[in-house]
Amino acid sequence: MAKPLDLLQGTLDMLILKAISLGPLHGYGILLRIQQISKDRLEIQQGSLYPALYRLENQGWIASLWGESENNRKAKYYSLTARGKRQLHLEAENWNRMTDVIGGILNTAKEEL
Amino acid sequence: MNFFKNLFLRRQMESEMDTELRFHIDSFTADLIKRGIPSDEALRRARMEFGAIEAKKEECRESLGLRLWDELRGDCRYALRMMKHNPGFTAVAVVSLGLGIGANTAIFTFANEILLNAMDVPHAERLRIFNWTPGPKTFFTGHSWGNQGPGIASPFPYQLYLEMRRHNDAMDDLIAFKDVYQMTATVDGQPEPIDGVLVSGNFYQSLAPKLVAGRAIASADDSLSASPVAVVSDAYWHRRFSRSADALGKIIYLNRVAITIIGVNAPRFKGPKAGGTPDIFIPLSLQPQVLVSERGSLLAKNDFSWLMMMGRLKPGITDQEASSRLVSAFRNAIHTTIPELKESEIPRLSLIAGNRGLDLLSRDFSKPVYLLLALAGLVLLIACANLANLLLARSAARQREMSLRLAMGARRSRVMRQVLTEAMLLAFFGGAAGLFLGHAGRNLIPSLFENSWHPSGINPEMDWLVFAFAFVITLITGLLFGLAPAWRSTRADINSGLKETGRMSTTRPKALLGKALVVFQVSLSLLLLVGAGLFLRTLTNLRTADVGFNPQHLLLFDLNPPRSQYPPQRRIALYRQIEEKVAVLPGVQSATLSSVPLVANSGDQDCFRPTRKRSGNGEKDATDVNSVGAGFFETMGIPIVNGRAFAIRDTQHAPRVAIVNQRLANAFFAGENPIGQTMISCDPGSTPVEIVGVSADSKYDSIRSDVGPTIYLPYLQVADLGSMTFELKTAAGTPSMVGEIREAIGSVDQDLALLEVRTQTQQIEATLSQERVFAALTSGFGILALILASIGIYGIMSYTVSRRTNEIGIRMALGARSTTVLSMVLRETLLLALIGVAAGLAAAAALTRLAATMLYNLKPTDPLTFIASALLLTIIALASGFFPARRASSIDPMHALRHE
Repeated sequence: MAKPLDLLQGTLDMLILKAISLGPLHGYGILLRIQQISKDRLEIQQGSLYPALYRLENQGWIASLWGESENNRKAKYYSLTARGKRQLHLEAENWNRMTDVIGGILNTAKEEL
Repeated sequence: MNFFKNLFLRRQMESEMDTELRFHIDSFTADLIKRGIPSDEALRRARMEFGAIEAKKEECRESLGLRLWDELRGDCRYALRMMKHNPGFTAVAVVSLGLGIGANTAIFTFANEILLNAMDVPHAERLRIFNWTPGPKTFFTGHSWGNQGPGIASPFPYQLYLEMRRHNDAMDDLIAFKDVYQMTATVDGQPEPIDGVLVSGNFYQSLAPKLVAGRAIASADDSLSASPVAVVSDAYWHRRFSRSADALGKIIYLNRVAITIIGVNAPRFKGPKAGGTPDIFIPLSLQPQVLVSERGSLLAKNDFSWLMMMGRLKPGITDQEASSRLVSAFRNAIHTTIPELKESEIPRLSLIAGNRGLDLLSRDFSKPVYLLLALAGLVLLIACANLANLLLARSAARQREMSLRLAMGARRSRVMRQVLTEAMLLAFFGGAAGLFLGHAGRNLIPSLFENSWHPSGINPEMDWLVFAFAFVITLITGLLFGLAPAWRSTRADINSGLKETGRMSTTRPKALLGKALVVFQVSLSLLLLVGAGLFLRTLTNLRTADVGFNPQHLLLFDLNPPRSQYPPQRRIALYRQIEEKVAVLPGVQSATLSSVPLVANSGDQDCFRPTRKRSGNGEKDATDVNSVGAGFFETMGIPIVNGRAFAIRDTQHAPRVAIVNQRLANAFFAGENPIGQTMISCDPGSTPVEIVGVSADSKYDSIRSDVGPTIYLPYLQVADLGSMTFELKTAAGTPSMVGEIREAIGSVDQDLALLEVRTQTQQIEATLSQERVFAALTSGFGILALILASIGIYGIMSYTVSRRTNEIGIRMALGARSTTVLSMVLRETLLLALIGVAAGLAAAAALTRLAATMLYNLKPTDPLTFIASALLLTIIALASGFFPARRASSIDPMHALRHE
């Protein structure tokens, strides 16, 4: 297996939003889901997940609720707010445009110039 | 909102964060165990992959915006600890700031009360009061008071008011009022002087002030056929009726007219004149009965101006719009009521702000009050410089601590914020102390301004504006004295700061910033000292000025018998009777009376000319007039230099006589003998008077004004007297006589109120209130500045000496004697002081000119004041530099070299 990629600066927020857009999750669940979707190709610093969650909640893009986990423990579940949904949409769009442009530049062959 | 929730439910938030993170690690551990890793190893790996838990928590807090708050709390705690460890420094800081901020707050409270407070009625900001200025050829007849000056309300005739009110469409309604003084209110047989206001019937309805009891005056009450009613002030209700409900419906006698009290004003409503404290409000329709005028009913007069007019702009109407509408209404009203007035004679009408009603205080007080605020601001600035200096010295001593912080990775902005927090905390303690002192001293300034025998009734209260003011100046103060030390603290060179051993003293910066601050402080202090000196000398000059009469042992009181009871002839008889009665009271050496009390800021000017001259020069011949009793010159101690004084024989039936002062004799009869000459008033149809004596010059209305030409007439020969002031020359112990005087007057007329009992010296002192306030406050400020300056100099010199301990030790080891060291330090102190004094003298020379009109017999650059202030400050500076200097000179070289 190739060495996992370090996360690009500023993309963690977007991944978190995406992960919980599929349904409410607690912090550890978000980590697992991102790893699962990315097939372990991304390396996420576990501890940095929480400052990001707190920041997103403070901005009002996600909301939190205390609930019970699979193993019957108290856990904090995060879900997407309406504003968070819009933000995710916006960021995904920007990201796609960005990768298009960068990809286009990187794939340019000499004769196309 | 989240931020505040997290802030206030801090403990809950922390425990939730804890639970959440622990859940993560536990879940991860469990997963690892499931994958077959031993539990010890699993927990270790889970913790490792998570990262430093405490650091992550801190990042979470920062995400919530709580970090700033936490740091602030930490800084405050740290600052409090520093303050506790330096109690001397803290005390100096808090006390000097407290005094500075307190002085500013007290003066601002006073300014707020007398210059800013609006009338306590709804929408005071829309109130406008009317003013007129003379047209190109104005002859607006018979105005009683003339114009008070630009920007101040002027009086209008009643008929004009009615006409304008009828055609007003720019204001809610037009109201009219007239302030009246020294009426006599008789309650239960006790006569008492009272001030009041005559108001139009719509006054209460339109202005809408609050009442605390009874009902307001209504339009129906303002009619000649209505029964007389009055609303009284809350203060009067309290004073006279102890807030009893029985006061409502009670009948009192106002200038002998029976009037029923129907209501009581709210305490905050002090009437339509700024600073006034009228006690009784009556309808305009009572003027003919209560305020009998020689002109008869003023309500019927079409051209006698006496009423102030004001109104509230209709919502949405601009000043310009209202002005233009009212100007045309005014023009029409004049054509209707005074048809004989030509177009070119019509005055120009204008609207001025009426939120404070009739406002004479702004004119009289704004200059002195703003000057006082500027002086108090100067004191605060000195206190700031002082603190900045002390903090700078301390921040130098803490250079090691700061270097350590920076070395450990603290950002410069972080260190700066911490130093600034310390300064701000000090400022807030100082601000709290200042607010307390300001509150305690809020009545001090009004009491300095008022007469000793007649309280002004101004009791300023602190409101939110005062608090806002104190808060803002506290913030500014903190920034002023905190910024320089904060900036300096981050300039620390980490390397040398940590290595500091004291052996590098020769290359040490010489505390230039601190010294500059001391110089600045000394120069500001000198400015204040010069101010204090000038105002003190002015007051002394005024108090010791020769007034031309002997003010000692003179008891004064006024009488103002109502015209309804006492037409001119009966009035003279009454005065004559009382003059005789009081003259024979035990303890009275002589008694007299005059229409104008001396040096009381009041006067009566008329045009007089020698009879042989065809016409007077109008304004140029304006002469001070005083109608006096026969014993006036003897009682007042004014020498008669030529001819005779008045005598009992100068009665109504005797030939008209006069006495003039030397100034008049020289002006009109230079080189001739004035005795036997005659003079005549410029009024047509007056009788000539023969000069029978010449008196020495004496001050008339004030000490400041030069003695003008003055003519004295026997009051018995004057056709229409107003109120009179009685002067009694007594042995001593005058206040005990008031009862006997009251009795003597009561034996003539039970209902005659004794007004304004005071001594002549009190009377003179009352005209010096402004000078007294300035002398007292600038002296206080000057002393404060001196103390602060000595602390500043002591601080900076102690600091330099302690920094140079090593160097001084070397000098002494090499053979310098202690006197040499002493003089070296003192020389440095002297240099600082002299630079400061020179700068201060230059500033004073430039600035004192602004107060030139407030001085008396003194140039703004009075050499004595300047030299004395400079000397005093230099001596104080040397004295405060002496202690550090002596410490330096007693340094033991061995100790010093081992120092640090």
